[in-house]
Amino acid sequence: MKKRGVGVACNWYGIARTATIDRAGAWAELDDGGTGKVAVGVTEIGEGILTVLCQIAAEELGIRPEDITLSDNDTARAPEAAHAGATRQTYMCGNAVALACRDARKRLDKVLAAHWEVEADEIEARAGRIWPRSKPEQAMSMAEAVHLCKSRGVVPVGSGSFTAHGTPLDPDTGRADVWQTYVFGTQIAEVEVDTGTGEVQVLKLTAAHDLGRTINPQGVEGQIEGGVVMGLGYALMEEFVLDQGVTRTPGFSKYILPTSLDIPEIESVIIEDPDPNSPLHAKGIGEPSMLATAPAIINAIYDAVGVRITQLPASPERVLEALREKEARERAAAAER
Amino acid sequence: MLELTVNGKQVRKPAKTHMRLLDFLREELYLTGTKEGCGEGECGTCSVRVNGELIKSCLMPAVKAQGADVVTIEGLAKDGKLHPVQQAFIHAGASQCGFCIPGMVMAAADTLEKNPHASPEELREGISGNICRCTGYRKIFEAMDLAAEIMTGRCDSATLDIPQEAPPSYIGTSVPRVDAKSKVTGALKYAADMTLPNMLHVKVLRSPFAHARIKSIDTSLAEAMEGVEAVLTYKDVPGEDGFGVFVLDQPSFAREKVRFVGETVAAVAAETEIIAREALAKIKVEYEPLPALFDPEEAMAEGAPVLHNDYPKNLSRHVKIRKGDVAEAMARAEIIVEGVYGTQVIEHAYLEPEAGIAYLEPDDTLTIVSPSQNITHHRHDLAKILNRPINKIRCIMSPVGGGFGGKEDQTVQPIIALAVLKTGRPAKYVFTREESFIVSAKRHPFRIRYRTGMTKDGRIIASECRIIADTGAYAQSGPGVMVKAAVLSNGPYQIDNVWVDSISAYTNNTPSGAMRGFGATQMHFATETQMDRCAERVGMDPLAFRRLNCLRDGDETHTGQALPSVSLLRTIEGAAKAAGWEEHVPGSRHGRTTAADRVEVKGS
Repeated sequence: MKKRGVGVACNWYGIARTATIDRAGAWAELDDGGTGKVAVGVTEIGEGILTVLCQIAAEELGIRPEDITLSDNDTARAPEAAHAGATRQTYMCGNAVALACRDARKRLDKVLAAHWEVEADEIEARAGRIWPRSKPEQAMSMAEAVHLCKSRGVVPVGSGSFTAHGTPLDPDTGRADVWQTYVFGTQIAEVEVDTGTGEVQVLKLTAAHDLGRTINPQGVEGQIEGGVVMGLGYALMEEFVLDQGVTRTPGFSKYILPTSLDIPEIESVIIEDPDPNSPLHAKGIGEPSMLATAPAIINAIYDAVGVRITQLPASPERVLEALREKEARERAAAAER
Repeated sequence: MLELTVNGKQVRKPAKTHMRLLDFLREELYLTGTKEGCGEGECGTCSVRVNGELIKSCLMPAVKAQGADVVTIEGLAKDGKLHPVQQAFIHAGASQCGFCIPGMVMAAADTLEKNPHASPEELREGISGNICRCTGYRKIFEAMDLAAEIMTGRCDSATLDIPQEAPPSYIGTSVPRVDAKSKVTGALKYAADMTLPNMLHVKVLRSPFAHARIKSIDTSLAEAMEGVEAVLTYKDVPGEDGFGVFVLDQPSFAREKVRFVGETVAAVAAETEIIAREALAKIKVEYEPLPALFDPEEAMAEGAPVLHNDYPKNLSRHVKIRKGDVAEAMARAEIIVEGVYGTQVIEHAYLEPEAGIAYLEPDDTLTIVSPSQNITHHRHDLAKILNRPINKIRCIMSPVGGGFGGKEDQTVQPIIALAVLKTGRPAKYVFTREESFIVSAKRHPFRIRYRTGMTKDGRIIASECRIIADTGAYAQSGPGVMVKAAVLSNGPYQIDNVWVDSISAYTNNTPSGAMRGFGATQMHFATETQMDRCAERVGMDPLAFRRLNCLRDGDETHTGQALPSVSLLRTIEGAAKAAGWEEHVPGSRHGRTTAADRVEVKGS
């Protein structure tokens, strides 16, 4: 018999390094042809940060994402940006790049302000065009603007350093301002439990997450979907088994991962509560996307069949055993009556 | 002599007898778009077409491809135009780390070319032999649906063209991934895809014991082998040999003792991988097995063997949170709910096994290229281990084929660095899948005890939480994991009285380290299951229970931090609305909603 149930779980998470100060640096340059060069010390592990940084740099420099050349992640050729983890890439590297680009634009805009005889703060640029608000007819291409700037002896370069503040925990009480920005989320799982086999199929997973401000909606969905499925594996099937220190699951034939046949419908609901402490107001989504998934599924199993799984994963064997124990309990209770 | 057609071109090359088709493609033809994710036919990253059939090239001996027509990811585009499946993958944002993507695209293209009218279920079935760890598959399904539309002519391929018009802002716009094309075509070079002239191949001898004293290591027979350039042990480490994220307790090469099965004992750098493997068998290590610990609570018990001299009680980290007066609040609580939870060890299972390539530059800078999630920190550690000025070490982060925290801690880096310093030649080391499983850090297993004190109308007034984690043989990211677990335990709820002990112990299990969520993943399972139980005990809907207790603007966290803006309620309402949440008390309707019932209701 197959029975359905729904379950909910909430999550919270802090952005960037925990209980300490965090930092990231970046360099930027408006380059020939109206292109942009950006160097930042750490980037892509698959989450899409290269694209996010190109979007941020394009927006700040007034050019297009495809005009950006990103440096390699190289301790000898790029400023430090610390590490690729802690849901810190968009927040730390993104803001460092934004600040570096603004700095480069300041150099460019100063030269152009003199050329146009306007205040620098009335210069606008977008997608490869640059103009003073009061004289839009004098708009020029960014390629021309960079050429003009260099002909006046100025290379439009900039740098940025972004800091996130967290304080260490008091060793006795744990008191601390752990992160300067937090995200929250709620996920709801709908599952179907086969009471004959103990198998659990997740039918739908609704994931609502605050991420501050969305840079790339498709990328955000990708992070949520990936996190949810990693959470599904955590809830239902994955287990690295050690026996006296020797693993019994040394490869993919023994360590079971979610495949294309295990995937629920996933609906992402994006909530934006802008971060007031950073230029971009974006927070992050990488890790928080998976936190609520396993408990939402476990709570849904309880709603469906009344068994509470307290040891992960809720493998078919474990669910079946719990169902049998429940039946035995109910029989014993009935016999007593 | 192997003669075959690869991507439409005649190829005639000698193939070594041991070679699999995968090796022949990668090593002889430099077609590195075909990846090795597992070497046992389970992951699908090596998928290619042979005579029109999709196969896993890690399972096929190269000689079996004699006369065959082979198509790899590099041959999928025709006349400079990407295959519709490749275009659709770019359009749908179906690649993340990209390591599974060449194989995934091959499987998707094969499925769709054989039957472009395949049902959604058949399309999913078609890629079920290919694992993706990043995307959650949804965008891959979208891409396949889209490609089907194009390939059946139901939709014009022009819909896949990238719009040229600039959006009002690039922030908030789904700009196509800048690296997507390099991933769907197999052009992107991961560390294992790189080769350098005169490069040596490194292999490592690993401990078969969980805990043992090393009495002696005899490398003489291995060193005497033709083709062996160097054998490395702890004796070759010039500096202070210790790495780690918070404490430097892990040596590059075991010294005096081994503390887990799989620990690095010796390494061989040789002309070929085969010679290196053969040489490992000739290294003689004498061990004296020691009593081992596999349970964190036993490890902290009185009289347990000591694993690290600096940690006489095997206690790695103890984090405390003390807010309010929990004893007093528990005493006046009308309901107390207790719960015990356990979580398992988890493998990151990124599709790209750890790999690295290192070389000396003309100015004597030692460069290490690897899929490291933390080149900054690795450079710090390596400067100490190698006893070298920090600016003479250059760490480059190669494209990371999945990390999830598992590539924050060092694996291949010190070994290849030392191989280069000892030989002066470039050195490369690629983990097998089994090595990746045995050596790299895992997600910590937790044991969690909760006591939640409530009023009878469901307000949480006290929460007590005790966490015991197994950090394994070395701390790696563990101390930080215990901090995050402590801080985020007890959930995003307003609770005046909170007591937390978050403890990790050393054992002789595989080291635990950083993994997505970093201690919070384990805690959320326990906390949110506990919340469901609490809601049940007070007869409340679980969402209503959370609305009652959740943090609101201006509230203080368990560590006493005031949060000006708390978006939790907005996410609760957002999720409830999208999912069509129906109010109920947990446990009140078991068995009410069977699939059969649902179908009947829908049909009526």
